[in-house]
Amino acid sequence: MLSALLVMTGIALVLGAALGFAAIHFKVEGDPLVEKIDSILPQTQCGQCGFPGCRPYADAIAQGEADINQCPPGGDEGVRKLADLLGREYKPLNEEHGVEKPKSVAFIDEQTCIGCTLCIQACPVDAIVGAAKQMHTIVASECTGCELCLAPCPVDCISMEPIAETVENWKWRYPVIEIKRAA
Amino acid sequence: MPETINIEVVYALPERQELIRLRLHEGATVQQAIESSGLLQKYPDLDPGKGNKVGVFAKLTKLDAELRDRDRVEIYRPLIADPKEVRRKRAEEGKVMKKGDGDE
Repeated sequence: MLSALLVMTGIALVLGAALGFAAIHFKVEGDPLVEKIDSILPQTQCGQCGFPGCRPYADAIAQGEADINQCPPGGDEGVRKLADLLGREYKPLNEEHGVEKPKSVAFIDEQTCIGCTLCIQACPVDAIVGAAKQMHTIVASECTGCELCLAPCPVDCISMEPIAETVENWKWRYPVIEIKRAA
Repeated sequence: MPETINIEVVYALPERQELIRLRLHEGATVQQAIESSGLLQKYPDLDPGKGNKVGVFAKLTKLDAELRDRDRVEIYRPLIADPKEVRRKRAEEGKVMKKGDGDE
C-alpha cells in the first residue's frame, strides 16, 4: 500500500517536473501557424488583401477570417503554397484584390521630383531616402513593389520598373502537373 | 541601454544605393557616422552639411546631432527640378495637383 503510494507520488513528481521544464524551455511565442503563413506571404506590406500588412493578413487566415486568395503580389504560387500548408482547396486569385503583376520596384523621375515627402510617409518599409525639399530616391533593395507611393505623389514622378530575372533572383517555379483526362 | 548602437548610413543615387550598417558607441553623432561609413572616400564630391544635407529618417538634422539606436542617417542630394516650375507646368497642362502638395 505504502509502496504504491510512493510510486504514484514519485511518478507525479517526475512528470510534473518534466512538464514544467518543457513549458519553460520549449515555450512557443505566438501561434506557429501564423509564422508559417507569414513566411509564405511576400512581405510587400501593400495592404491589397484588405489588411494593414502581411502579418495581420496571416493572423486573419489562421483564424479563418480571411480567404487564402487575397494576395496579388504572392500570386498563384502563393495561393498554392497556402492551400498546401492549410490543407485547403486551391482557388484562383480573387480579382477584387487586384491582379498578379511582374515583381517591380518603384523608380523616381529626378527631373520632376519636388521633394514633398508624401511618398516617404506612404512607404511601409522605409525604402525611400529623402527629406523636405531634398531629392527623394528609392533604395531598390528595400523596395517591395507595393505601389503605395504612386498615389500620393502630386507630380506623378514615380513609376514601377519590373525587375529583370537574373541568376541572383531566379526562383524555382511551383511545378504544374498536368493531369491527364480519363478517356 | 546598449553600449553600442546600430546605425545605418545611406546615400542613394537613382541607379545605385549605398546602405552601410555600422556599430557605433553610444552618443555618436551624425558626423561620426558618416565619417565611419567610408562614403566620403568612395564619393569624394560629397559635402555633408553644405552641398548635401543630412537627416535621420526623412527629418533634416544637424551634423552634431546625437544618434539613437537603429537610426538611419541619410545623406541627401539637392532637387534638380524647381518645385514652383513643376507646379506651374502641371497647371498649364491642366493637371490637377493632389491634396497635400507642398514642401512639407
